[in-house]
Amino acid sequence: MINEDFASLLTAAQSGSEAAFSRLWRDANPALLRYLRVIAPGAEEDIAAETWVQVVRGLRSFRGDEQAWRAWLFTTARRRAIDLARHRARRPEAPLDDAAMAQLPRTEDSAEVALEHLSTAAAIALVSGLPRLQAEVILLRVVAGLDTESVARLLRKSPGAVRVAAHRGLRRLAQLTADTGVTL
Amino acid sequence: MPNSAQSPPQDGSAAADADLAALLAGKRDVAPWLQPMADVLAALTTEPSPGELAGEARALAEFRRRTRVPVPRHRARRGTAGLTPRLGVKAAAGAAAAAVVLGGAATAAFANVLPAPIQRLAHEVIGAPDAPSAPQPGPVRGTTAAPGQLASHGKPKASAKPHSTNQPPNRHGHGQPGGGQGQQGSQHAKGQGGDSSGQGQPGSGQGQPGGGEGQQGYGQGEGNPHAKGRYGNPHPQGQRGNPHPQGQQGNSHPRAKPAAHHAPAAHHVRPARHRPAMDA
Repeated sequence: MINEDFASLLTAAQSGSEAAFSRLWRDANPALLRYLRVIAPGAEEDIAAETWVQVVRGLRSFRGDEQAWRAWLFTTARRRAIDLARHRARRPEAPLDDAAMAQLPRTEDSAEVALEHLSTAAAIALVSGLPRLQAEVILLRVVAGLDTESVARLLRKSPGAVRVAAHRGLRRLAQLTADTGVTL
Repeated sequence: MPNSAQSPPQDGSAAADADLAALLAGKRDVAPWLQPMADVLAALTTEPSPGELAGEARALAEFRRRTRVPVPRHRARRGTAGLTPRLGVKAAAGAAAAAVVLGGAATAAFANVLPAPIQRLAHEVIGAPDAPSAPQPGPVRGTTAAPGQLASHGKPKASAKPHSTNQPPNRHGHGQPGGGQGQQGSQHAKGQGGDSSGQGQPGSGQGQPGGGEGQQGYGQGEGNPHAKGRYGNPHPQGQRGNPHPQGQQGNSHPRAKPAAHHAPAAHHVRPARHRPAMDA
């Protein structure tokens, strides 16, 4: 997170400062990739690049704080991931959002992968073993740094549903780590 | 690292939810049963790896492409890089125009169609043919053209200009240019006796006195020999000229001086208003 410097960085980036934009990019892109590795594994690089292209297009017109900035960024990335899933499924009649997200490939044996690699990749793999909504909520809350209300708007859920999904996901993670003896 | 996982509370109490909320908020000092989850979440927020920053150049390129301001770049290009090419283009255009003008002038000089002073200058500078220094005698003997033709062709105004000898409609009507015409005309006169090419010459001779005497003497020299050779003094008003006996002989000579020929001829054909000046 950038916190107090965000407003000045955003203004500079909107004025064409490459350094300011670079700072914004370096702050947000790792989190974006980690989120996309869970919801669109194998396509995270392409989706992230397309997301930044779209963000750059709308950068001048963006207004908001860092929370809104990250929400915009991850919302854009999520929509691109859904479009990709829809394209891969070749089923235009399929429902959007959660249905399309459910068709995204999942990482198999995530617990085993986590056992072998005590790293960020292992943690991502462990989160990928959660149900889709729970995984997304945990990633958006922890990795993206969004609050409950922002996550609720992004996922088009109620804040209560987001809160419940987050708690269930954490309990599930605890159960997984207890069952598999995962230590990071 | 030893396995520190513990079973989470199964009661779903408010205290457990508060611990989970604190964990999601970033707190890492949590209950022991949440410590494995805290480690997982901490691993999700570690420092970025180099691979996660590899796309920065691509993003910056897109940023550069999208956020560049066209006007300042255009001005900058104008101010520096564009100046020299534009000057080069202007210089090239000027050089091309100068080359065309000089080439045309040189061509005209070698074609001997320039005005006499310029032709002489060209002769001295670039070796172009010299301007005829003396009036070429016209077809002195070939003055068989009808007086009516003389009247119709004798246009003093046209003949006042030396260059007009190159214009067939006025004098030579039948085609003979300038200084060379006189020579040719004389040849025709000798051979044929009556050459239509000489018909216009008398008219030119008549017009010369009306103009500047000195400058147009050259033109007079061209015209008068014809006039004398054919009609003597062809009057522009259609009067029968008084064929000048001297003109038939003397003017036909190619070496005849223009002044020598023109003065009498002009004297004969000069309009009344010029006569006092010339007599003086």
